[in-house]
Amino acid sequence: MSKRLVASIVAVMAAGISASLLHAQDEKWNNIPPTRATYRDKKPDGVAPRRNLTGIWDTAQALGTSGAPEHPALLPGGRGSQGGQEDEAGIAKPLPYTPAGLAALKKNKPSGPGVRQVDSVLTNDPAGKCDPLGFPYMFSWEFRTINMVQTPKQMIMLSPFYGNYRVIWTDGRKPPADPDPRYNGYSVGRWDDDYTFVVETTGMLAKTWLDHAGRPHSDKLVVDETFHRISLDTIEYTQKITDPVMYTEPWIATNKLPMHLLPDDFDIPELLCSPSEFAEYNNQVATPVLRDSSKK
Amino acid sequence: MARKLGIVTLMVGFAFAVPLFAHHGAASFDSGKTVTVKGTVTEYVWSNPHVLVKVDAKDDAGTVQHWVLEAWNPVTQAGRGWSKNTFKAGDEVSMDITPAKNNQPVGEIRGRIEINGKEFKQQNANF
Repeated sequence: MSKRLVASIVAVMAAGISASLLHAQDEKWNNIPPTRATYRDKKPDGVAPRRNLTGIWDTAQALGTSGAPEHPALLPGGRGSQGGQEDEAGIAKPLPYTPAGLAALKKNKPSGPGVRQVDSVLTNDPAGKCDPLGFPYMFSWEFRTINMVQTPKQMIMLSPFYGNYRVIWTDGRKPPADPDPRYNGYSVGRWDDDYTFVVETTGMLAKTWLDHAGRPHSDKLVVDETFHRISLDTIEYTQKITDPVMYTEPWIATNKLPMHLLPDDFDIPELLCSPSEFAEYNNQVATPVLRDSSKK
Repeated sequence: MARKLGIVTLMVGFAFAVPLFAHHGAASFDSGKTVTVKGTVTEYVWSNPHVLVKVDAKDDAGTVQHWVLEAWNPVTQAGRGWSKNTFKAGDEVSMDITPAKNNQPVGEIRGRIEINGKEFKQQNANF
């Protein structure tokens, strides 16, 4: 065998090994969570640790995009996902709007699926400009995978969507009495029992939305969340909305949404909103497909 | 019919239900129709909020239509098995898409994909 042939064989083998190593390395990055179907028949498993939510958690994108999951902006049977209505008349599970709430709803023009969906370039959805969504919008839309980190005084929630983070204080402090509003508001949390972590959030910016269907809120909004760790691998997430300005009574936006524990070396892909890329999308897609240019 | 589709085949899928988890801006697209766009990739843009594949396809009269075809965001597309290398300029493709209601050459990539004569099988994804 000639030296040249041997050298060629060695080079090819080396290239193959390098490719394998690179592939193995790449599998450690940008991990994709299991699909919803993976969890369909899976029971919660393992003993839940006491007073501990640390971990990487995934909702399997179970929330959808038609608004608060317990009150999707859809007609019975899931109809009406392509808009056409000014209000939410006839939806399957109507919300208890006050007159002010109904008026505020009509001012919000959602591009998300639902009975009030508008063409993308006609929306005033904060998401349509890559504006910060704030809380609870971040937890009612694109609530996918989050990294929860528990410290002695904080529960930190890191989301790849918008690169958003929430800090929930667990040091016993009270919510601020008259705060300057913030997108994510001010959150305090405590353990109701060894497996139930409850969070109260106030002080959100009134200009933000509750969800992708354009549900409004005022500066009187209070969001109560429950993270119930029912097993080692499952949290049930519940979110309650209280806002007497916009709604006549409190309502449940998310009810026992399963959050599934992922391996602790799961690398969450980033999902950022780039204003310049969004503008280009609007230029190349959303504007050309506008159905009636006179409305623009 | 306002638009000549030429080698672009029109299929009407009335049996398809409107997807509950349609993405933002879906109001502009006709979810009851599927169009197959066959042509040459001119650009592949791995961007948010939607990955774009630009395709030149001729209509019946031989006029080149410059299609802009949108997929979901890069994370969702990665879940389907796409990457930054899935398409490149010059690829001959055939893609089933949901067309715009106003007949502009813009669509949502929502079905079978062929790249250079070979089917590109997408993985299951949540959306």
